[in-house]
Amino acid sequence: MFEFTLSPEPTKAQISGGVYDVVIIGAGAAGLTTAIYTARDGLKTLILERESAGGLAATTEMIENYPGFPDGINGAELLERFRRQAERFGAEIIEFDEVVKVNPIKVGEIEVHTEGGQVYTGKTVVVATGSRPKKLNVPGEKEFYGRGVSYCATCDGPFFKDKNVVIIGAGNSGLQEGLQVLEYAKHVTFLEFLPYTRAERILQERVKNHPKSTLLFNQQVTAIQGDKTVTGVVAVDRETKAEHVYPADGVFIYVGYSPYSAFVADLVETNKWGYIITDEKMRTKVPGLYAIGDVRADNPAQLSVSVGDGAKAALAIRDFILELQG
Amino acid sequence: MALLNDEIVRNVTEMLAGLTNNVRLVVFTTKNGCEYCKEIVQLAQEVAATSPKLTAEVYDFDTARDKAAAYNITMAPAMVIVGARDYGLRYYGIPSGHEFSTLLYGIQRASEGKPDLDPQTLSFLNGLTQPVNIQVFVTPTCPYCPRAAILAYDMAVASDKVIADVVESMEFPELANRFNVMGVPLSVINANSRVEGAAPPYMIVDAIKAALA
Repeated sequence: MFEFTLSPEPTKAQISGGVYDVVIIGAGAAGLTTAIYTARDGLKTLILERESAGGLAATTEMIENYPGFPDGINGAELLERFRRQAERFGAEIIEFDEVVKVNPIKVGEIEVHTEGGQVYTGKTVVVATGSRPKKLNVPGEKEFYGRGVSYCATCDGPFFKDKNVVIIGAGNSGLQEGLQVLEYAKHVTFLEFLPYTRAERILQERVKNHPKSTLLFNQQVTAIQGDKTVTGVVAVDRETKAEHVYPADGVFIYVGYSPYSAFVADLVETNKWGYIITDEKMRTKVPGLYAIGDVRADNPAQLSVSVGDGAKAALAIRDFILELQG
Repeated sequence: MALLNDEIVRNVTEMLAGLTNNVRLVVFTTKNGCEYCKEIVQLAQEVAATSPKLTAEVYDFDTARDKAAAYNITMAPAMVIVGARDYGLRYYGIPSGHEFSTLLYGIQRASEGKPDLDPQTLSFLNGLTQPVNIQVFVTPTCPYCPRAAILAYDMAVASDKVIADVVESMEFPELANRFNVMGVPLSVINANSRVEGAAPPYMIVDAIKAALA
C-alpha cells in the first residue's frame, strides 16, 4: 500500500568535489540517462537538481508508452530506477539546490554556480533542466495559487475529493492529469482553447467515456474567480461569444510548458520560445556545453526522446574529453 | 510484512552509515482515528534497525501526556527526530512516498547537528529572539515537497527558536482546512504568514520577518 521513494540529499561532505568530467544540470530522464552512460564509462559525473530527482516524468501517475513496460509503469518508480542505475555506476547527485549561473572559463573548464552558494567545475556541462508549466496569465491565477489553483495533479489532486474541478487545457498533459483527478473529484470539466485536442486518442476516449467528465472545446478562459479560495472559472465560447462561469473548487492548468533555460540564455542560442538550439550531437555553440531533453529546441517532449538525447550527449562528451586529453 | 524492501533497507543502511551522534525517533500514536499508526511505528522501527546510532521509542499520545508536553506535541500521529538535543524536527503523519526522503534528511541533520544553509540565512536565524513555528504542509505524492520540508528542518537545526512541523495534509484534514491548504508544499509561519511552493530560503526568511512584525 505504501511506497517509499528514496531520494535523500547527500550532505556536501559526501560529494567528492574537485573537477568533474561532466556536470549535469537536471535529474530528469535526459540527465539521468547521460549520467548512466558517462558514469559507466568511468567519467566523474555530478548531477545537480533543483527539486527531487525524476523530473516531469516522475510526476506522471502511469506511463504507458515507454518501451519495455507492457502494463505501464508509475513515473516515479521508473525514474527512481533511472536514478539507481546512474548511482550504481558512481554518479553523484545533489538535490534541492538550483543552478543560477553557468560560467565558461576556458575550453574544458566550465563553472556552475548554485543558489546554495556552491561552485562546481566540469570539463563539460549538460543542461537537462526540462520545462515548467506555462502560466495562463489571467486574473485570479496568481491570487489563488495554492488556494485552488494548481499545476500538479499528482501533488494536489487528493485535496479535491468529491469536489468540482476544472482542468484548463486538454492536450496530453491535461487529459492525463485530469484522469487522475477524476479518481477523487465529483466532476471534472476540461476547457480547451482549440476546437480540437492534440491528445493521444486513447486518452481522449477515456475522458469522453468517463461518467464524471465534460470535455469542452473553443473555450477561452478569461478569469479565475474566488473568495478565500477558488469558486469558479470564467470562459468565453469562442464561437458563440457567450460567457459562462464553471463552478470549481479546484483548477489545474495545463496549457503547455516553457523551457527552463533563462540561466544560460546569454550563452547559448535559443529559438523564439527560449528552447536551446543544438546540433545533432546535442552541442550548443559553447564548447563542452550540451543541452538535452525538453529544454532543447525541436524536441517533442517525450520520455523516449529525452532518453535518446541523453545517450547522444554522453557519446559526444566521451569524444570531447578524449580530444581534451589529446 | 516489512514496509521497506531489501533494496531500500540496503540503501538506507549505506546512507545512514555516516551518522555521527545518536538519533532517537520518538513516535506518538493515538487510538483516536489514527489510520496509519501501526505502520508509522513499524516504519520507525525498520528505519531504526538500519543503524546502531538510531533508536525508536513509542508513546501513546493519549496517556503519555507529560512526554508529549515535553516535546510540545499537540496532535498525533507524530514523530520527533531527536539528535544530541531536540532541534525541533517533527513529522506529523506517515513519511511515505517522497516524504521518506524528508525523514532520512531529518535523521542526518539531527545527527550532525549542523544545518546546510547559506551564510545570510544562518545570520538571520542566529539573530532570532522570538519563537518561530514553521508548519510545512505536504502530500506523499508531491516531488516538490521535500525541498520545502528539509529547508524548514535546516532552519530548526540552525536556531533553537525554530520548530519545524512537517504535516502530511491528508492525515490532518482539519488542520489543512484551517489554513485553506489546497496545494502543496505550503509553509505557514506562526500560523499567520504563508509561502506557497518550494520557496528558496530568502522567501521563508521574509515570511518569518512578516510573521514576527
